[in-house]
Amino acid sequence: MKYVSFLVVLALTIALAIAVSRPFGAVPPLAPLLDPNHGFWQNSISEDRLAEDELVLNKLSNEVKVIYDENLIPHIFATDQADLYRAQGYITAKHRLWQMEFQTMAAAGRISEIVGPLAIELDRMTRRKGLAYGAEKGMEFIRENDPESYLLLEAYADGVNQYIDQLSDARLPVEYKILNYRPEHWSAFKSILLLKYMTDMLVGDRDLEYSNLRKILGDVMLDKLYSEYPDGVEPIIECGHKWDFKPLPVTRPDSIAYPDDQLVVAPLPQPEEGTGSNNWAVSGSKTKSGNPILANDPHLSLNLPSLWYSMQLTTPQHSVKGATLPGALGVISGFNNHIAWGVTNATRDTRDWYKITFQDKSRKAYRYADKWRQTTFRIEEIKVKGEKAFLDTVVYTHYGPVVYDKTFNSKRQDVNFALKWNVHEGSNEQKTFLLLNSAKDHDDYNLALDNFTAPAQNFVFASRDGDIAMRIQGKFPLKWRGQGKFFMDGADPGMEWQGYIPNEQNASTLNPSRGFVSSANQHPTDSTYPYYVFDNSYEFYRNRRLNSRLREMNSITVEDMQGLQFDDYYLHAAEALPTMLDLLGSEYENDADAKKYLALLKEWDFYADPNQKAPTLFYLWWRKTYSQIWKELSGNPAPVVLPSYYQTVLFMKDEPSGAVFDLKNTPEMETAAVHVKQGFIEMLADMKKWETEEGDFSWANYKKTTIQHLVPQFKSFSVENVYTGGGSGILNATSARHGASWRMVVELGTEVKAYGIYPGGQSGNPGSKYYSNFIQKWANGEYLDFNQRTQDQKEGVLFQTILN
Amino acid sequence: MKFILLTVLTALLVLIVNPFLPYWAVMILLAILAAAVGNKAGGAFFAGGLGMGLAWMGQSVYISSVTGSQLPEKMSELMGLGDEITLFAITGVLGFFLGAFSALAGSLFRKLLKRKPDNIYGR
Repeated sequence: MKYVSFLVVLALTIALAIAVSRPFGAVPPLAPLLDPNHGFWQNSISEDRLAEDELVLNKLSNEVKVIYDENLIPHIFATDQADLYRAQGYITAKHRLWQMEFQTMAAAGRISEIVGPLAIELDRMTRRKGLAYGAEKGMEFIRENDPESYLLLEAYADGVNQYIDQLSDARLPVEYKILNYRPEHWSAFKSILLLKYMTDMLVGDRDLEYSNLRKILGDVMLDKLYSEYPDGVEPIIECGHKWDFKPLPVTRPDSIAYPDDQLVVAPLPQPEEGTGSNNWAVSGSKTKSGNPILANDPHLSLNLPSLWYSMQLTTPQHSVKGATLPGALGVISGFNNHIAWGVTNATRDTRDWYKITFQDKSRKAYRYADKWRQTTFRIEEIKVKGEKAFLDTVVYTHYGPVVYDKTFNSKRQDVNFALKWNVHEGSNEQKTFLLLNSAKDHDDYNLALDNFTAPAQNFVFASRDGDIAMRIQGKFPLKWRGQGKFFMDGADPGMEWQGYIPNEQNASTLNPSRGFVSSANQHPTDSTYPYYVFDNSYEFYRNRRLNSRLREMNSITVEDMQGLQFDDYYLHAAEALPTMLDLLGSEYENDADAKKYLALLKEWDFYADPNQKAPTLFYLWWRKTYSQIWKELSGNPAPVVLPSYYQTVLFMKDEPSGAVFDLKNTPEMETAAVHVKQGFIEMLADMKKWETEEGDFSWANYKKTTIQHLVPQFKSFSVENVYTGGGSGILNATSARHGASWRMVVELGTEVKAYGIYPGGQSGNPGSKYYSNFIQKWANGEYLDFNQRTQDQKEGVLFQTILN
Repeated sequence: MKFILLTVLTALLVLIVNPFLPYWAVMILLAILAAAVGNKAGGAFFAGGLGMGLAWMGQSVYISSVTGSQLPEKMSELMGLGDEITLFAITGVLGFFLGAFSALAGSLFRKLLKRKPDNIYGR
């Protein structure tokens, strides 16, 4: 009996111990999660309470000192570069390990390993685009051409891994505990992969949509609705810039036969709308102090843990501070004692699709000119949590991978297209940042940029020597007019890219006479640039507001530049609203609600400040009107893009009774006024609903800016309803989910003065007081002091750690 | 007396050893402890349970009050539990059952060892 009862209790106890160690469906293992000594409770402890005076970091040649300021920004002092990047890896992992690993898992198409079968399609998509393939090419390229950087990449990886190897359960980031997995080792490959992931985030193409539009509208109407160079464009490189080079010849084939199917398939996922950035520099001639001032604010999806992590990286040879990307070496947007630089996305169509005609079902060969060319097969093994691995065969042509085929995306018609994208070619973007970090002047900056392929960026530059510059850098294919705008026939060698624009012929400018350089994702150059430049997503509003302000400003101070980054002027509204009010006429003056709204709109100063009510009204009215105008286009079963807001407003002003406004399938002849009125009625209905359900319709309350955790389901780790102004197309580009992910202003005087802020915090741990502590300041347009620190500076030190 | 002794010793064991060992190792040590102290089955169950349950709940309350972190709140929301009080309770209850069964197993094990002298001198 005693044996029995003991054995029963023992069995029960063991069963209990095992039960609480395993997950039940989505519920993570309970005991490891709730154990106060190892579980999530431990993640309540902030970094300052865990401060260590000394930490072991092997393979250093000398000790490394890490000084944290009161915002938990680490300042790393090392004696050489290998030590510096080893320490950067270690310290970044200490604060951001889960995020850096999660992002590279996403980039590698390995999310299924973490969350199970529901991510298989996502992972297949990622892999079929060839991101990991591109990263492998990048690795080979760096190993062969730049062994020095390769060693630094390995030092960084080793630093991350030394952190992982000593990581206790208690300090394991809480996301691992909830999702029930553990970090694996970092590698140089993952750092490269992260940079490829950035390319994926920032580069899109609309070849599918344009192919459909060409079919639906015909060439003439297409050029009218989607003008490549509408009136009033203000390019990045100042108009009238002289191009002092002899362009390479590009030959346009005599006859171009485009594949002519209308394609009812979902396009490749695109960079999200609202992704963009501002950067500019003003020369000493326009500033109060006589020193150049540089500003940069990249707009990306607003996430926690923040995409950016601030650091100072110092060796006896150089000292740089700014925003780093966890997982990549060095500072990405920042300044040293000589120069400052910043980036905005230089969108340009560098991704093209070629129709592939396979010889037979085996897909071992495809037609090219009058021959058959061999394909290669790449087998992607996707590991799946709780299931056996999924094997996916991707066919590679000399153009690149065939993304959609008979095994992937069942809805599509029987056509195979290969993706040609410069991300698949070996390149070394990391080198650009390593060189920029220690650059001393404009020549160094140019040398650094020569290594940069993708995602193409507008690099702004200012130096203590007084130079300001802008260069649009990427590896841009040489294209004849119209090439790559539509799907092309892969069997026709005449459709091939004819090489690349040489680096020294990429558009750039140094010290233009207007006294400033600026970019905000608009057209790169005026029409005199001798190469074909096309993209669907050029922006029309931020750049014009920015340039008009910079032109009229003089005696500029750092505060002025901060104010400009936070500028809420809604240029699109300022241009569209008067026309809309005109077209609306006086029909609605007897409706009480309409009267109230119209009064608000009429007295509006066009600033989208958080407490303003008019921006909400305009935003709704515009959106309704816009979708009315283009509803026949968007109602098409085949995916298309709609004409830009800018072009639409031009039509409303220039030809309000024009044919573009007529809906073909109605007997009446519609004009702009009809759509504006319909939009107004719909806006009234929406507002009525909003006022009943939500009440207040002030702008911040309406747009509900949210800084979302990387796992959207972890809602309580997000920060919702941040009270702040701005919006898409506004210099302060803070919309619901996108906005200034980093703001920096640097004045390059004898002493370099810098200010920065990002919507997040240095810690990646949702339990830490440093997780989201910058958000309030960011929302108010405030900045942190980002001046460089010296080792012996005493004030404002949170704690310091010696790595040895 | 033995009841209070085992409760206190269990709590101390958890506080001292748990930071370095996972919960299942603590369970084994707790079983040994209960066998050594020698409570009856029912006493061991509740003493072990209270000891570990209170220790876990106490630790979680302590960490949360010292750090002032909002993580417990966020975790409760994430787990759909309402407020963080529930999370303290669940942590305590889980600790209770882990401690209770371990101590019970230890106590019953001691009984097994005691059997031999019983057979020699008793019937």
